[in-house]
Amino acid sequence: MSIGVGEYLALASVLFGTGAVGFLVRRNLLIQLMSIELMLNAVNVVWVAFNRFYPERHDGQIMAFFVVAIAAAEAAVGLAIVISLYRLRKTVETDKADALRH
Amino acid sequence: MLEQIFDNFAVERMLLWIVLLPLAGAVVNGLFGRFADRQMVGLVGVGTIGLSFFLAVVAFLRLLDMQPEGDAEFVPLQYSFYEWFSIHLRGRAVPIDIAFVFDALSGVMTLVVTGIGLLIHIYSLGYMSHDRSFARFFAYLNLFSASMLVLVLAGNLPVMFIGWEGVGLCSYLLIGFWYETPAYAAAGRKAFVVNRIGDFGVLIGMFILVAVAGSFDFASINHSSYSGAFTLAGWEAGTLATVACLFIFLGCTGKSAQIPLYVWLPDAMAGPTPVSALIHAATMVTAGVYLCCRLSPVFVQSPVAMSVVAVVGTLTALVAATIAVAQREMKKILAYSTVSQLGFMFAAVGVGAFAAGFFHVFTHAFFKACLFLGAGSVMHAVGAHGDADIFKLGGLRSILPRTHITFLLSCCAIAGVPMFSGFFSKDEILLGAAQLGVASDAAFLSPSIGWFVFGGLAIAATLTAFYMFRLYFLTFTGEYRSAGASDGHGSEAHGSGEHGYDASPHESPASMTGPLVVLGVGAVCVGWLGLPHLLPFTGAHLPHVWGEWLKPALAHVEFTPAGGDPLTAVNIAFIAGVSAMAVGIGLAYSMYANKSSDPIASGAPASLYSFLQDKWRVDELYAAVVLRPVKGLARICAWIDQTFVDVLLTKVTSGLVTLSSFILTRAQTGVMHAYGFVMALGVAGLMLWFWSPHPDVMPVVKGQNVEFTAGRGLGYEYRWDLNADGTFEVPSGEHASSTFGSKTFGSETSASHRYTPDDFRGFILVAAAILGEDIEIPLSEHAVVLDPEVLGPDWQVSGDAALPPAVRVEGNEVVIRPNSAAVYARGKLVSEKEVRLPAGSRLRIGQVPMRIAPVVQATLEVRNAFGNVARETVDVTIDVAAPAGARAEVVR
Amino acid sequence: MTLFWVCAAFAVAGAIGTVTARRPLRAAMSLLVHIIALAGLYLGLHAELLAALQLLVYAGAIVVLFVFVIMLIGPATWVPSSTGGLSLRAMSVAVIGMVASTIAVALGRYEAFFGKSPAHYGTVEGLGGALYREAWVPFELVSITLLVAIVGAVAVARGRTPEEAARARQLRHERAAANAALGDAAGSGGNS
Repeated sequence: MSIGVGEYLALASVLFGTGAVGFLVRRNLLIQLMSIELMLNAVNVVWVAFNRFYPERHDGQIMAFFVVAIAAAEAAVGLAIVISLYRLRKTVETDKADALRH
Repeated sequence: MLEQIFDNFAVERMLLWIVLLPLAGAVVNGLFGRFADRQMVGLVGVGTIGLSFFLAVVAFLRLLDMQPEGDAEFVPLQYSFYEWFSIHLRGRAVPIDIAFVFDALSGVMTLVVTGIGLLIHIYSLGYMSHDRSFARFFAYLNLFSASMLVLVLAGNLPVMFIGWEGVGLCSYLLIGFWYETPAYAAAGRKAFVVNRIGDFGVLIGMFILVAVAGSFDFASINHSSYSGAFTLAGWEAGTLATVACLFIFLGCTGKSAQIPLYVWLPDAMAGPTPVSALIHAATMVTAGVYLCCRLSPVFVQSPVAMSVVAVVGTLTALVAATIAVAQREMKKILAYSTVSQLGFMFAAVGVGAFAAGFFHVFTHAFFKACLFLGAGSVMHAVGAHGDADIFKLGGLRSILPRTHITFLLSCCAIAGVPMFSGFFSKDEILLGAAQLGVASDAAFLSPSIGWFVFGGLAIAATLTAFYMFRLYFLTFTGEYRSAGASDGHGSEAHGSGEHGYDASPHESPASMTGPLVVLGVGAVCVGWLGLPHLLPFTGAHLPHVWGEWLKPALAHVEFTPAGGDPLTAVNIAFIAGVSAMAVGIGLAYSMYANKSSDPIASGAPASLYSFLQDKWRVDELYAAVVLRPVKGLARICAWIDQTFVDVLLTKVTSGLVTLSSFILTRAQTGVMHAYGFVMALGVAGLMLWFWSPHPDVMPVVKGQNVEFTAGRGLGYEYRWDLNADGTFEVPSGEHASSTFGSKTFGSETSASHRYTPDDFRGFILVAAAILGEDIEIPLSEHAVVLDPEVLGPDWQVSGDAALPPAVRVEGNEVVIRPNSAAVYARGKLVSEKEVRLPAGSRLRIGQVPMRIAPVVQATLEVRNAFGNVARETVDVTIDVAAPAGARAEVVR
Repeated sequence: MTLFWVCAAFAVAGAIGTVTARRPLRAAMSLLVHIIALAGLYLGLHAELLAALQLLVYAGAIVVLFVFVIMLIGPATWVPSSTGGLSLRAMSVAVIGMVASTIAVALGRYEAFFGKSPAHYGTVEGLGGALYREAWVPFELVSITLLVAIVGAVAVARGRTPEEAARARQLRHERAAANAALGDAAGSGGNS
């Protein structure tokens, strides 16, 4: 049995589901940020796998490259928010950050 | 050398610039004028129209050069810039080009519009110099010039209609130019609304003409009107021409202020005086006459329409002249005079004297523009705003010498003093009517129409001379009646109310008197272009320059005054014209020279005088007959609106919105998992969509070949059964990309096939629709009588056929039983009981062209990467060439 | 093929470890495992440069950043497990898990196998050339995005200087006074 796009897609959907569940279930802002990274990585797997299927151009890998760059930017800003939240509330629990709710 | 330049210059292309220059001026002044100083605005405004005038003169000289020798067909300057759009009419595309035609008719109008327009632009520099909205005024004025030039130069009806609407818009904008005064804004609205009624007529007339003549071009319409191609579904050509012409004439009564739609023009004097001169005297209001002349070959097909035009024109001339006798304000008198003179022009058109009517358009443009500008000069001098009461003026002869002399010349012209321009044109009109009257065996119009027009116009001419000189004597002779006015406000606006005017009037600046002088000279001289062909009493012949010019552009009604020699009519017309002038001026002199009171007011019965002064109370009549019912209806509608619609719209709708928002806000829990839940559902839905493939076949028919294209998708592979025989031909062996069991799929998304009669699976009768999509009628083995509703009215030729044809399929052929309809196939009328036609044959049922089209079938199977297969079968109507000898004569 | 299954197993294990870990530091370490496994997958897909970048950016920068923050904040990064809304949570997790696994099974049937790849596919030369030749505008835009992110991160994480804090306090007092003057209704809208 050889490996094709389908296997990578299946893996990516499992990883994405894991990330989504983590983001929704955990209340720790740090772990939620990591879950977002998981989801972004799952998408990257799809990009790269499809690019391997159509290898004449590098469009998929280029997109994956940009996703990595954006993920880095997002992590930087997200962690800055974590620190800011910690200063304000002395915790990183997202349920406690509800000042703008309703 | 000049000629050389002309020869090397594409005059035709210049026609576009004649229009575009004023338009550019309008855009520049409209967008940037408010930031520029007045000199710049004036330069742009006057410069563009000036250049346009220059180009018009060049084009006109070229046109004179082109007059053909002998009997050669005259070809005017014309240029088609591009195809604007096209409509689909009886299976044929009718293009509508942005095309301009410059012949004698449009050439003269172009010269008038640009030439008089230029003078009035220059005049406005002085007249409007103190106005706040100087740039806006020039932008509107330039826009008007551009629209009017589109109107006159247009080579077809839709382009003319652009100009027609454009001048209407500019008229509205300029009447309401001082929109701060509610009454002026209301006058603008009135003009616009009344004109809408007329525009509706023009549109209907236009649609009838294109349906009948199959073209929008003036040339083609005119040609078809007398070449016998004027037909529509069994109607007679004369009836069609009558209906079309009456609708067109309805439009003309709106634009050119004839009964019953003339009521807007007197109110239009609310606009600045140069506007009254340019739009509401010299150019726009003559558009109706111009259109009638342009379509004159169609009009002469319909004696009924001509009679209506003649009678309406005569009545308008009379009614307006009687009203003018009793008015007190300068511009009001001139406005009614304009209405009356337009009536003269239409009366001329109605008796078939198109050249005479158009000649009056030309001369009237000069003297009426001069009169209006003179009135403007007087108002400027005495500081009147809006309008000037002539009973508070007087004795201005010595104060405003230049204005006075030009005003007098123009009064002489309009009154018809011999050798002035108005004399010649009015004489031609009277002559036209008299010729019709003396022609005892005229087959075209009844002589009584001629005598009615002649009598009416003679009375109107007398009244014209009378009221014009009443105006002149009261304004310029005697004492200045506002000299002792206590009001010292200078030129502040105070209307014609209780107070008098400026105590010490002054002559207007040169920018105003200059155009007056030019127009005054014109008012005297331009008539000499149309010296009478036949001199009264002597019977001597003169060359008729004007008539020769216009000959190629107009329809000619040949009068054969069989009862006597043509000199009779000439003599009658001359005597009537001169005596009307003499009586009118004499009466005015005896009643008003050096007087300050109005003897009519005291002498005539009070009820009659007030009836005339109230303009025959037509506005009141319209208010009672038209406005009141409409207002009542509006009230009912408003009640329905408030009781039902508003409740539905506000209460019910807002209730629904509140309810749905209540439900939707429940969904916004703020709980992250709930959102995730919904998102998962959405993903599941998407997955379902992608689970099975979607073929989406699009066939493109190219005659006998059909090219099928299928939709693309993730990992799609295709196989095609193009001729519905159960085997999949595409992909063939070497192009297959994968094989699943017994099925071979390929990656090509399209396949094409050339169909032969063996592949036909059915037949469809395709009827070319008059407008829009073709009609497809499926056929079967069982004979079907075609539905008359589907065929439309054209399937009957004579209107008495009772039963449409029956059609059925037999083997590879279609059998048509004509029943009582006229069916043409194989180039001739089918006289047999039945006719058998193969696929691809053309035929015609009555006026409806049809073809027999075969239907083929193709099947596509698509497999996606999940291994799922979907199948789609499409029926395609293809277009095969008719077999030799089967091609029928296609309609026209 | 072996590479794929090994890396896939580690990637999934790392992901599950990240999501389920009680301590953030362990989550970060699981994330590291996941990322390295993904880099291996990229290598299997002939995306060599991307694999290297994955290690550099994720392992070298992002995970390290996470660890820094965890160290900076200390014990407060421990969040006690939640007590409320358990049934809803369980339901949504079940649905998402079901959908994701169904999709995974379905997509696994997607039969599109890889062919040979061109010579420079995924190498520094190939991807770099494509990036600078065809995607230089978005590339430059991404660099601007990163710059903005840096500035933003600094601005958000920096906190207030003593002067700014004093000014904010003063503003808060003024606003409270104004609200009090307007009455209870206005005052209750404040952030308490």
